[in-house]
Amino acid sequence: MALLVFFMMGLALWHFTVFIPDRFWQGIIGAFIGAVLGAVIFGWIIQEASGKSLGDTDLSTALIAIPGTAIGLAVVYAIGVRSEERAD
Amino acid sequence: MGTRRRNLFVLLFVLGLVGISALIIANKETKLGLDLQGGLELVYKGQPTGTTNEVSSEDIDASISIIEKRINELGVSEPEVARLGSDEITVSLPGVTDARRAEEQVGSTAQLFYYDWEPNLIGPQRAIGGRPGIQPPEGPLKASEKRWEEAGRNVNKEESKQLIFAGAYPTAYDAALLASEQEPVENCQDCSVARPRYYLFEKEEPHDLIAGPELAKKDLYVSPTGKKRPKDGIVVEVPAGTILVSEYPTNSEGQLDETAEPGWYALKDKPALSGNDITDPEQSYGPNNEPVVSFGFTDSGQQAFQEVTRAIAQRGQAQAIGPVSGEEAEALSGHFAVILDNEVKTRPIINFSENPDGIDGRTGAQISGGFKDLSEAQDLATTLQIGALPINLKLVSQTQVSATLGSEALDEGITAGLIGLALAVLFLVSYYRFLGLIASIALAAYGLIFFALIDLIPITLTLPGIAGLVLTIGVAADSNIVIFERIKEEVRAGRSMSSAIAAGYKHGISTIIDANVITLLTAFILFVLATAGVKGFAFTLGVGTIVSLLTAVVFTQALLGTMSRSRLLRSPNVLGAGGEGKQWRFDFMGASRWFFSVSGVILLIGGFALATKQLNFGIDFESGTRIKVALQQPTDEEEVRDVLEGAGIEGEEIQQVDDPNLGSNVFQIQSHQLEPGEVRKAEAVLVDEFGIVQDGFDSTSVGPTFGEQIANSAITALIFSMLVICGYVALRFEPKFAIPVLIAILHDILITAGVYSLTGKEVSSGTVAAFLTILGYSIYDTIIVFDRIRENVPRMPRAAFSQIVNRSMSEVLTRSLATSFTTLLGVLSLMVFGGPVLQDFAFAMLVGIASGTYSSIFIASPVLSAWKEREPGFIRRRLRIAEVEGGIVPAYADDIEMAKLGRDDETEAEAPQPVKEPAAEAATGAVATVERTEDSGNGSGKSASGNGDEEAAASASAERRERNAERRARRQARRKHGRR
Repeated sequence: MALLVFFMMGLALWHFTVFIPDRFWQGIIGAFIGAVLGAVIFGWIIQEASGKSLGDTDLSTALIAIPGTAIGLAVVYAIGVRSEERAD
Repeated sequence: MGTRRRNLFVLLFVLGLVGISALIIANKETKLGLDLQGGLELVYKGQPTGTTNEVSSEDIDASISIIEKRINELGVSEPEVARLGSDEITVSLPGVTDARRAEEQVGSTAQLFYYDWEPNLIGPQRAIGGRPGIQPPEGPLKASEKRWEEAGRNVNKEESKQLIFAGAYPTAYDAALLASEQEPVENCQDCSVARPRYYLFEKEEPHDLIAGPELAKKDLYVSPTGKKRPKDGIVVEVPAGTILVSEYPTNSEGQLDETAEPGWYALKDKPALSGNDITDPEQSYGPNNEPVVSFGFTDSGQQAFQEVTRAIAQRGQAQAIGPVSGEEAEALSGHFAVILDNEVKTRPIINFSENPDGIDGRTGAQISGGFKDLSEAQDLATTLQIGALPINLKLVSQTQVSATLGSEALDEGITAGLIGLALAVLFLVSYYRFLGLIASIALAAYGLIFFALIDLIPITLTLPGIAGLVLTIGVAADSNIVIFERIKEEVRAGRSMSSAIAAGYKHGISTIIDANVITLLTAFILFVLATAGVKGFAFTLGVGTIVSLLTAVVFTQALLGTMSRSRLLRSPNVLGAGGEGKQWRFDFMGASRWFFSVSGVILLIGGFALATKQLNFGIDFESGTRIKVALQQPTDEEEVRDVLEGAGIEGEEIQQVDDPNLGSNVFQIQSHQLEPGEVRKAEAVLVDEFGIVQDGFDSTSVGPTFGEQIANSAITALIFSMLVICGYVALRFEPKFAIPVLIAILHDILITAGVYSLTGKEVSSGTVAAFLTILGYSIYDTIIVFDRIRENVPRMPRAAFSQIVNRSMSEVLTRSLATSFTTLLGVLSLMVFGGPVLQDFAFAMLVGIASGTYSSIFIASPVLSAWKEREPGFIRRRLRIAEVEGGIVPAYADDIEMAKLGRDDETEAEAPQPVKEPAAEAATGAVATVERTEDSGNGSGKSASGNGDEEAAASASAERRERNAERRARRQARRKHGRR
């Protein structure tokens, strides 16, 4: 259930990337991959580290997906910017 | 064949089909599922018997065949026995109300063995019961009586005396301890079980038997229905070569008294014959007209039977001193035991005075004295006739539906279906006028043909099936809407009626095929992967979709084609195509960021709801027992709880529910998984205390393994559906079109999960099935839009992708809304007029349709647009348009401007093409469409980098700027005068 929550939060936050300049690697699809993977991987790590099972969910489960999504988006954005600079 | 002749042929063919269908419907009865006619559904899990280590596929097939034969003998009409997964079997018994008898008849392993009784008794048992007719030695007898007293059994009762003198132990624990002390027999070929078995007993005295026999120790701790058993109990291992059997005492009439407590024996496992050695078992009557089961023997069985009875007779003879009377001979004679599934069914004597040389096997034998009534003897005869199951079957799920509730559900389903159909017809006629009438005729033909197919195949009509049927009404109407909107477009574009009809069908058919193939694929995946109840839904949907192609496309085309030159179709108004029609001029792409935000917020709320409230999974997934009972006497929830707790059934949720058809005292009891015996106990105490109305008991029990299987099959079906849908879209369109579809699907799934979490509505396997199907159906809208985008891309060679999408969306939005609305009518009808189960389906469909329509318009298309806009070709177009439009990319491509851009392109073709790198695209956001380029002032942007011939490029650019300035001035002037 926690994985579903992470995924859902990642997908939810991805929707707001339309307000950010489109410099993500592979554009909106790259942002989608970054947001979802970031949320799920980061959330999973934190969930495991805090000793909770993936079946347990509470408010914190949703909240820990937010920094994960941000990290994922930042990574994809950085890759995008870098590839633009290389192309220039 | 000419068009006219072909149309005539199609019309005659469909009319013929309709006529045949009407005949079939009139003459053939519809096969109703358990949920519509009441009955019993049992799900068994196969386990090894002990002679084998695993359950093979052949074992399951053989078991299914045996169960089918047993059910046929039960006289159940139209039963269904099917494999479920790798080692489970589902048995549907319509109309069956005696759950206990059905369970025994269907699931008993029926391992039948015959033992020479006395030589196989062990230790003290043999000392007491090993010499019939002889007073047992004092010591062992006293010790045995003491044991019985300690076990709390009354040794003075006749039933106890009987068992004590036979050598029985009072508890299974005592007998198991004796058995456990025996030497194991390695590789025992003649034993009934070649492996050790385990028993679990309560830790506290008198060490009641909790579970067993099991072949694996771990199986002792979890019941077949998944119920946890105490870990601190005592485990006793009975080695190979020894078996533990029970025996009930007989009453004064010589019948087994199953209401009394049994005695227990540890026996040497040396059967003389097995069930394989008997032939032609049948129920007959004994000398006193009591029911008996008589049978013959195979050749080897005859010999074995003669030998064993001779041995018993000779032993009896040896006990006799001198000549004895008939009575004395009877008392001294040894016994021959018939043991079925570790229970002594009968233990007759072999009277040595009557049969000194044993019994001739050719005359057969009989089992007598152990039957409560005629039906029990008949059942045993049937079971023996059919043979033993090759595996043990453990009941993991049991559902009993009362006939009253079933017929109530059927009435509600039919009402909802008819009203849904009427609403769809009403909408079609009011919106499409004559075309709507044609569609209604097609829907009527569809209904008849479809229903005839249900009767003919036959498809078992279940509640989920009715939901699928209502959905297919929407699918059939949708196909017409897609074509009719197209015809209206063609008529408005000035085409003649006949060519508009031809063009409408020509252009609409590929969209319909794409959309229907996806629905079919989803239905197929559901059918293959889903559990039994959902299969009906999937099958109905699949068949309905195919029939809808015939009636909604082929039939209506022929009908319209025939009438296209008639007076009826002269005016566009007849088709509802008068005037300009609704022209959407909305900047979908520009506004999509706000729609994205709405979705984002909904998903965030759903995410938080899911994290804090989770999902309310039904017993399908969580396992448990749900009982719906209509009581005769008025009472309240507390009293029902007290009565159930008095019977040892605790931890249940009890709720009084409203069901006018069952009276005013209807209660729903939900608890952890109850064993079948506990469900019967609950029914019995409720009958005793309050009385239960006729057909007023309904129960469902689902074990965790079954729940897990349902959950796994749902996840697998979901993943497969997504992959197949994406694969199909990638093949039919292009790979880039598949990703937005995938995102839209995920969007729909998660929004639905959020809605279910927020509302707390129960998620059942039916919900998941309905949702999966609606998912396939929701892609319909996306396919309609994508299909038009694909069509418009070559038509608009100079437009930005966002403009193409905007144009496509504006062209098909009416279609999308009309198709969704038609389906919604059916779903709303289910929600209002369907019963609780159909309402659950309808809710899932409602959320799916709403979310699916929204995501195909406001998520899938903008994502596709944003992604495609990054392609170099579209970046170039965009820059060129922005240059012409003063740095702005308008929401809609103006045809005149596009033509001028075309002229620019011709000029540019003479000059070298500027190369634009994707990275240099100016953008404020992924889906922005109306935007100003960073350097709109000079119109060149970063793209005007030199490529070798800067002078020519600069000259062309200067000319373009001049022309652009003129165009802007002209456009401003036009706008000022109110013209576009």
